[in-house]
Amino acid sequence: MENHPTYKDLAPICQKYPRAAGCFFQAYNDILFSQQWEDVQIIDVEATKRGVITGRKPNTEKSLTVVPCALAESLSTSWLRSIFDNLAPSPEEIYLAITSEDSSIVYYKISKGIVKPPI
Amino acid sequence: MADSPPAHRAAPGKSQAKRGKDHLNAIYAHPLPLLFGPLPADTPLPWATNVLGLFGRNRIVNPKCVGVFDAATRSVWITNSKDTFILWQRGFFGKGNLSRSEPSWLSRRINQLSGPKQLTAEEVTARRRELRKQFKTERAQALAAAAAEAEAIFAATGEMPTPEAVPAIVSKATFQAKGQQSAAVLPGADSVVTPPLNAADPSLVDEVDDAITPPEDMEHLQLTLQEAFFLAWSVGCLNIIDPTTNESIAPSALWKTFLAAHDFLASPDVPQSPWFDNPFLVSYVAFHHYRSLGWVVKSGIKFCVDLLLYKRGPVFHHAEFAIVVIPVYEDPEDRKSSPYDLPNVEPFTWSWLSTINRVNSQVKKTLILTYITIPALRRISAEELKSPECLKHFTVREVTIRRFVPARMRD
Repeated sequence: MENHPTYKDLAPICQKYPRAAGCFFQAYNDILFSQQWEDVQIIDVEATKRGVITGRKPNTEKSLTVVPCALAESLSTSWLRSIFDNLAPSPEEIYLAITSEDSSIVYYKISKGIVKPPI
Repeated sequence: MADSPPAHRAAPGKSQAKRGKDHLNAIYAHPLPLLFGPLPADTPLPWATNVLGLFGRNRIVNPKCVGVFDAATRSVWITNSKDTFILWQRGFFGKGNLSRSEPSWLSRRINQLSGPKQLTAEEVTARRRELRKQFKTERAQALAAAAAEAEAIFAATGEMPTPEAVPAIVSKATFQAKGQQSAAVLPGADSVVTPPLNAADPSLVDEVDDAITPPEDMEHLQLTLQEAFFLAWSVGCLNIIDPTTNESIAPSALWKTFLAAHDFLASPDVPQSPWFDNPFLVSYVAFHHYRSLGWVVKSGIKFCVDLLLYKRGPVFHHAEFAIVVIPVYEDPEDRKSSPYDLPNVEPFTWSWLSTINRVNSQVKKTLILTYITIPALRRISAEELKSPECLKHFTVREVTIRRFVPARMRD
């Protein structure tokens, strides 16, 4: 991981939160190279003990927030709430990037409360 | 598959799908990275082979692959293209960290920059999804138009319109996307796609138009610790490097390193001595069990299960079985003293079983509950955990789950 070309951008967050370094690195590289999002940035969210990734899907305007985690972690709803509370402006929804050890990632979209589906 | 090898093209009368299958059979002919090749004629046979006539004049060719242990992602990375080729093509080990299965990121990137030469599996899926989406929007528009027209006829004449009077709505089978010659160019399943693996093929990079410089390859083949240990210890064809010392990790140290990889999950109040319910150990028992029986074992994260079993490999068939690993403590007291909180230990609920089974029968996979008995510490000393020898104390039992529908399953 330390020898990867993107590591120099991620090193401060990876060293600050070593427990979440693996999932953060995997999600960042997936978003940047595989999903090819634009304007990809990193935010340090201390309450979640990890870095959070923001960016836009190709050819869209809306900025989206991705929170990486590992499949083996146990998460709580209060932890999820703390993500919304600690981002400014607080997003309507976040994407939870759940990473597994074979490098697979599944994204779950998490919204505040019930959302009416688009017509 | 316009550029399949001449040998296949020469066979007339063979369907394209059949040629594709032959092509796959040729590429993925070996189930493990080890090869069995003939000995050079002048080599004297070893004594045992000679006397027992075990292997005839054959020898084992060991590719001796090299990977780097990555503690943060709890995995082993293969970064050189030769070993990536070998481990993927002979036994489907690992996954490209930027791809769905085999590493194809560089090919996709080159296709994107220079125009496609041959579609990768991800690109085929993307095009199929795009077509489906277009079909659905056009069908929705046609439905709305038909409804509006029927309303208009009803308002004008006061009678229900006959079906012939309203415009026909295109069906999925006859749908042709605007500006598309035929939807039939898209293969139906992964199995028909000629595998790309061009990423590692230097000739492809050479072929790229001079106008673009080939991008740097950002991808590696990622092995889970279970796969890496199987290759290093059971098969003996993988050398794993410790990135801090740049030296290879000895087999005994490897066992210790992998057992310690999940320590971050352990409760900090309990001594970190090895435990029989170590997460690496439990998942390795399951992996080793199925892999030794000849299945190709992959992660089941996308289907809410622990493992997926493929017959021969993901390029041939979809996964047939979905495995949920359920640890069972031989001595329930061990669970209380252990620092780990393993998933699926608690008795499951019917709603849990129903949900998992529904998800998997939807994708035509049979659900298997794999019970792994964790040996009791009072019976077997923790000393045994110092080497993989301790694996013999674990037992594996399986229960196959199928939903029974009385009305449909009378025969």
